[in-house]
Amino acid sequence: MSGITNWFEYVGDRWSDVWGASWDHLMLVIQVMIVATVLSVAVGVAVRNNATLRNIALGVAGILITIPSLALFTIFIPIVGLGFKPAFIALLLYAILPILRNTITGLREVDPNVLESARGMGLNGTQRLIRVQLPLAWPVILAGIRVSTLITTGFAAIATLVAGPGLGIFIKDGLRRLGLPLSMESVWTGTIFTILLALALDLVLSTIGRFTTSRGVR
Amino acid sequence: MNQSDTTEPMIRLDRVSKVYPGQSSPAVAELSLDIARGEVLVLVGPSGCGKSTTLRLINRMIEPSNGRIIFDGEDVTGVNPDLLRRRIGYVIQQIGLFPHMTIADNVATVPRLLGWKKDKIRARVDELLDMVGLEPNVYRDRYPKELSGGQAQRCGVARALGADPEVLLMDEPFGAIDPITRDRLQNEFLRLQSELKKTIVFVTHDIDEAMKMGDRIAILKESSQIAQLDKPEHILAYPVDDFVDDFIGSGSTLKGLSFERVRDLELSPYPMIRHNAGHAQARRVLDEAPQRWLLVLDDMDRPLRWVNDSHLDRTDRPLRDLGHPVRAKVEPNATLHDTLEAMLTSMAGCACVIDKRGSLQGVVEIEALTDVIRRLRANARKHYEDENGQSQPTGTPS
Amino acid sequence: MAPGLRLLRGNVGLMVAPVVIAIAGVLLAVRVGGAEKDFSEASALQWSERLWPQLRRHIELTMWSTFWVLIIAIPLGILLTRPRLKFLAGPVLTVANSGQAIPAYGLLVLLAAWLGTTFSTAVIAFTIFAILPVLRNTMVGLDQVDKSVIEAGRGMGMSRRRALVSIELPLAVPVILAGVRTALVINVGMAALAFLIGGGGLGETINSGLKLQRDLTTFTGAAMVALLALTVDWIAAVAERVLRPRGL
Ligand SMILES: Nc1ncnc2c1ncn2[C@@H]1O[C@H](COP(=O)(O)OP(=O)(O)OP(=O)(O)O)[C@@H](O)[C@H]1O
Ligand SMILES: [Mg+2]
Repeated sequence: MSGITNWFEYVGDRWSDVWGASWDHLMLVIQVMIVATVLSVAVGVAVRNNATLRNIALGVAGILITIPSLALFTIFIPIVGLGFKPAFIALLLYAILPILRNTITGLREVDPNVLESARGMGLNGTQRLIRVQLPLAWPVILAGIRVSTLITTGFAAIATLVAGPGLGIFIKDGLRRLGLPLSMESVWTGTIFTILLALALDLVLSTIGRFTTSRGVR
Repeated sequence: MNQSDTTEPMIRLDRVSKVYPGQSSPAVAELSLDIARGEVLVLVGPSGCGKSTTLRLINRMIEPSNGRIIFDGEDVTGVNPDLLRRRIGYVIQQIGLFPHMTIADNVATVPRLLGWKKDKIRARVDELLDMVGLEPNVYRDRYPKELSGGQAQRCGVARALGADPEVLLMDEPFGAIDPITRDRLQNEFLRLQSELKKTIVFVTHDIDEAMKMGDRIAILKESSQIAQLDKPEHILAYPVDDFVDDFIGSGSTLKGLSFERVRDLELSPYPMIRHNAGHAQARRVLDEAPQRWLLVLDDMDRPLRWVNDSHLDRTDRPLRDLGHPVRAKVEPNATLHDTLEAMLTSMAGCACVIDKRGSLQGVVEIEALTDVIRRLRANARKHYEDENGQSQPTGTPS
Repeated sequence: MAPGLRLLRGNVGLMVAPVVIAIAGVLLAVRVGGAEKDFSEASALQWSERLWPQLRRHIELTMWSTFWVLIIAIPLGILLTRPRLKFLAGPVLTVANSGQAIPAYGLLVLLAAWLGTTFSTAVIAFTIFAILPVLRNTMVGLDQVDKSVIEAGRGMGMSRRRALVSIELPLAVPVILAGVRTALVINVGMAALAFLIGGGGLGETINSGLKLQRDLTTFTGAAMVALLALTVDWIAAVAERVLRPRGL
C-alpha cells in the first residue's frame, strides 16, 4: 500500500497549501450558500401564494440548473472577468433551485387546517409566516440546503478553470502533469478533500437541523 | 367595550350575503340572525348548505358580499379582522393544532398575541387544560402528534378559550371522533358551558347532536336559508314544513321525549297495597281500580312486586312472593325518553317513580306520555299560529 | 390538431421554449458571424471544422452515457424494490446520495489516469455520475405505487412478475421518466468537461477561449452548451408527456 503512504506523505509535505485551498474552497461554498439560502427563501416566501409567480420562479431556477456548470462558470467572464466572481455567480445560480423548490413545497405543504386555525385565532400574515409556516417548512427547506451544499461543494472544484479559488487547483495541476511523478497524488488530494469538505458540511447542517427542528414535527 | 344591556344580542347578522367568486348562486343569501348572550345556537343542515360559510362570516374569515355583522353592539364589518378574531374562539373539525408547538404553547397562542405576562399565561394554560380534562403536568409539554383524537380536540377547545373570549365558534368540532368519545366530549362540553355561559355558535350536520347541544337550533337549507329556528323541543314537536320534517327524520316524537322530565308529569292514581295485606283485600283494591295490575309496596313504600288477577287466584302465599318483581323504576328528573324505555321492559307496562330513598312517588302509565306528546304538539302549533301573518316561522319563541 | 400539439396544450412553457431557444441560437449566430475576429478566434469559431464536429461529439457523449445509465439504473432500481433485496435499498440510496459529494472534475481525471484519455473513459465517468437520479426515481416511482392496486392485481391471479410488468412499471413511468430527464441534463453538462481528458465536445471551444483569453470564443462555447442543454431538456420534457401512460 505504498500508494496510500505516498499520498499521506504528499499531503503532509504540502499541508499548508492543502489547508489554504480547503479553506478557500470552504469560504467560497459558505458565502455562496448563505446568499443562495437568503435569496431562495425570500423568493420562495414572496411567490408562495401566486401560481404564476411561483411557476416563473421555479422555471427560471430550473433553466439555471439545466445550463451546464462549465457554461455557467464561463458565460459571465466577458462581464466580470476571471477569478472569484464568475465562480461565485455560477455556484450561486446553481444553488438556488433545490432551496427554492423545497421552500415553496415546504410552505405549501403546511396543513391548510393549521393555517385556518392560525388565522381564526387572529395571527396576521407575518405572524402566520414566522410562527407557523416557516417553522413547519424548515425541515424541508433544510433538506434543500443540504442538497445544494453537496452540489455546490462538488462543483466548486471546477472554479479553478476560471481561475477561481479552491481545491480544484490540485486536480488541475495533476491533470497537467499526468504521467509525471506525484500527479496522481495531487488529483487524489483535490478529490478527497472536496469530498471530506462536502461530508463535513452535510454533517454540520444535519446537526443544525436536529437542534432547530421541533420535536413535534420530527 | 360598550356597556350593553342584556336584551341586546351578542351577535347580529343583518341581511348578510356571501357569493363566492365565480359562483352563480350565493352560499349565504340575505341571512338575518340574532344570537343571544350565553346561548348555544346550533346551525344544522345538509352538506353544502352554507353552515361553515355562515360561521366563518362571523369572525370574518371570509368577507361578506353584503350586509352587516354586529358583534356586541358594534358593527365589525370594517374593523381589523385579526383583532376581532382574538376576541372570538374558533374550533374546527380538523382542529389544526400547531404541530411544532407543545400543547402549552398551542393553548398560549392568543394570550401571547395579546401580550399577557408570562406568569399569567402559565397559570391560564394550566387552568384551561384542567378545565378540558387534560392533566396539565402530563400534557403540558407534549406535542400534538402525541395526543389521541379526543385529546387533540379537547386541546383545540382549550386553545380557543385561551384569552377567555365571550364567543366561541365551533365547526363540527366532534365530527371526526368515534361515537363513544364524541358522546363523552359532548357531555363534558355541556358541563363546561353550564359554568362558562359563553355565547356559542355550533355547526353540525348531525341532527341528534344539534338536539343535544343546542339551546336553539337553526335548520338551514340551500344558501343558508333558515327553514326553522327554535328550541329543539319545539322543532321536534312541530316541524314547520316537509324539509324540516325530512331533516329531523323518523323518531322525532321519541326524540322529543328527551326534553321532558318525569317530575313535570301529572300522575294519575294507581292501585297499590302493602306487602303484608291479605289476598281478599288485594282483590278488592284491584277490582275497584280500572287497571289490571296491582303494585305491592314494602313498609318503606318501596315498590316490590307487580301482581294481577291470576296470581291472586292460585295460591295463598304472601303478596311479597307473588307476581313479578318491579324493575322499571325512574327518578323524578329522568327524561320521558328513559321512562318510556323502562316502561317497555316492565311487565305491567308502567314505570314507578321513586325518590332518592327508593320510596314510591307515583306510577307513569302510557296515557301520561301520550298526553304529554299531544300537549307538546298543541303548544308548538299554537306558538307558530300566534305569530300569524309571518310566513317564515323564525322568530324567537316566547 | 395534431396529437403532439394536443399533448402540449396547457403547458405554455413547452410551447414557448423551442421558440426562445431558436431565437437565442439565431442571435448567437448573428453575433458571432458579424464580430471582428483575429486569426485564432476565427479558427476556433469555424463552424464546419470546429463547432459542428464538437456539437456532434457532445451529443454522442450525452446519448451514450444516458444509454448506459438507463441500462444499469432501471433494472437495478427494480431489483432493489423486490421484497428479497429490499433491505439493500436504504444503504444503496445513502451511498448514492453521498456520491453527489464527489467532484465531477476529480472523478473524470482519476478515471482518465486509470483507463486512458479516450471517449469511453468519458462515457464511463458520466454514466457513474448520472446513475443516481434514475436509480432513485425508479425506486421511488415503484415504491409509491398504491399497494392496494398491486394487491388487486395479485388477487385476480397475476404473478409477481406479471404485476410488475403490467401494473407497477406503467404506474411508475412518470417518476422514472423525470429521473431520465434529470440524467440527460446532467450528461449534457458533464460532456462539456470531456475536453479535459481529450474526449472532445463543446468544452473544447470554451477551453480555447479561456487559454487564448478570447472572451467571444469562451462565450460562444458556453452559450452553445447552454442552448444544447435547454434543447435536450425540452425534448425530454416532450418525451415525458408523450410516453406517460394515459390516465396518469
Ligand atoms: N372557498 C370557496 N370557494 C367557492 N365556493 C365555496 C367555498 N367554500 C364553500 N363554497 C361553496 O359554498 C357552499 C356552502 O359551503 P359550506 O362550506 O358553507 O357548506 P357547509 O354547509 O359547511 O357544508 P358541509 O356540511 O359539507 O361542511 C357550497 O356549495 C360550497 O361548494
Ligand atoms: Mg362545513
